[in-house]
Amino acid sequence: VRRLLIVALMLAAPAAYIGAAAEAPRFRTWKVPATFPLPQVPADNPLTESKVELGRRLFYDTRMSGNGTQSCATCHQQQHAFADSRAVGLGSTGEKHTRGPMSLVNVAYTSFLTWANPHMTRLEDQALVPMYGDHPVELGLDTGDRWLSRLSTEPRYARLFTDAYGTPDITRDRVVKAIASFERSIVSARSPYDRYHFDRDEQAVSASAKRGEVLFHSRALSCFQCHGGVNFSSAMTSEPRVRMDPEFPNTGLYNLAGALSYPAEDAGVYQITHNPRDIGRFKPPTLRNVAVTAPYMHDGSAATLEEVIDHYAAGGRTIATGPHAGIGHDNPNKSDALHGFTLTADQRADVIEFLRSLTDDALLTDPDFANPWPP
Amino acid sequence: MVTRMQRPDSRPLARALIGVVLLVGCSLAAEGQPRTPPTGPRTGTLVIAGDVDKPLTLTPEQVKMLPRASVTIEEDGRPVKYDGVLMGELLKMAGAPVGQNMRGNAVSSYVLATGNDGYSAVFSIAELDPVFTRSQIIVADSADGKALFDYQGPFRIIAPQDTRAARSVRMLEKIELVRVKK
Repeated sequence: VRRLLIVALMLAAPAAYIGAAAEAPRFRTWKVPATFPLPQVPADNPLTESKVELGRRLFYDTRMSGNGTQSCATCHQQQHAFADSRAVGLGSTGEKHTRGPMSLVNVAYTSFLTWANPHMTRLEDQALVPMYGDHPVELGLDTGDRWLSRLSTEPRYARLFTDAYGTPDITRDRVVKAIASFERSIVSARSPYDRYHFDRDEQAVSASAKRGEVLFHSRALSCFQCHGGVNFSSAMTSEPRVRMDPEFPNTGLYNLAGALSYPAEDAGVYQITHNPRDIGRFKPPTLRNVAVTAPYMHDGSAATLEEVIDHYAAGGRTIATGPHAGIGHDNPNKSDALHGFTLTADQRADVIEFLRSLTDDALLTDPDFANPWPP
Repeated sequence: MVTRMQRPDSRPLARALIGVVLLVGCSLAAEGQPRTPPTGPRTGTLVIAGDVDKPLTLTPEQVKMLPRASVTIEEDGRPVKYDGVLMGELLKMAGAPVGQNMRGNAVSSYVLATGNDGYSAVFSIAELDPVFTRSQIIVADSADGKALFDYQGPFRIIAPQDTRAARSVRMLEKIELVRVKK
């Protein structure tokens, strides 16, 4: 029933997006270089400073969970680029998710949200899943929206809602739009990589990182095929109405015996389409700040960047024993892009150094994105 | 007699077809095999070779001295102006059959462009010849007035009419003319 409600709420949401770049709202705090693209913002939820500030309060407010123990920030932590350090998410009632929380950094540039849902394109829709979803329970809010009255006990909200919307009324729609606005404002474009590329500061990154960048874009590694563009993800969108459709590659992470070659609890896009060709297919996430978002892969099953590189070098992961045993290299759905490669130890270190150059330290400590509530 | 008359024409074609089959075969054989990135120093030069009268090796400085061409394409939602030299101009310098010489069998020639990492793409000679097409495919050496980054340059192909960048060979080192029919 909850799932139906979430779907109904999504369908009710207007889908119109603003058109020409000239009409794009110029949110004054976009912290991007002049030549960096601007994100798309839905026409029915224009970005304003007051809405972003309200969204930040709500994002960090534990009254946003059914039992008052969690907020969005519980699983999307600033020091981890708004992901967290767990392998998979842990809901407010102790229920484990099958996937790790994705980084929210540059989510405004993401054409498809979550790990493996080709239909999820609006943050306003996605927010309903952790709020009301019960498979698994995340924030665990009641669908009758009694939780809204809890928010009204906070005296600051009357002014914040009035600033954002003109009246102090607290509604689900207003809450969702404010949280989505805050999430859109979390933009990372101040990493050493950005200073090197957009400011042409040759000293911003090391020689090793520059060599790693060449390898990253080489035919042998071809990382850029899924992690290309300024957001290092093929699931990219920006003004003026640019939208790249990702492949949702199967990377050969598993190859279990039987028709379902991935663990039954999460077989990727297949969960949505039930098409066998979609088994094991997941979205390539952004690699920005990847050095602070360990562990990796949709289920957190790779602990380090080194482990990830080795997985791709092998053209798939081999698990020798246990319930997930199998040779991922031979997964029948594996993407053609996963051909494997050989690297020297120095080259492997160069690739990782390049990935580390994508860490935006300013964002990880930016007070504009920090918890505004007193401790 | 008829067979004999056909032979002179069909032999190069047959050889080319065999070549293509072998190339495809090698390519298929290589699929699934781990790839190794180059480890040695890059040449930093551009070679125009193959079935041309005057093979050339050009340094970045020499390329800068040639007639310049500019194209603007959209990347990540913003326009980027690339400067460089028309590929057709480079082929003309090397004595390839472009311009008034682009007739008869010459039209069946193609160019194989290859980067330092082994990535390559094919262009028909007709789509590179300014006399033959309005398409301006260039060998770029700068973007928005600045040198290309290491992973792109010093030379990169920009084919502005292509809707995907798959033929935009980066780290371009070799342009090779292949005449299918002579």
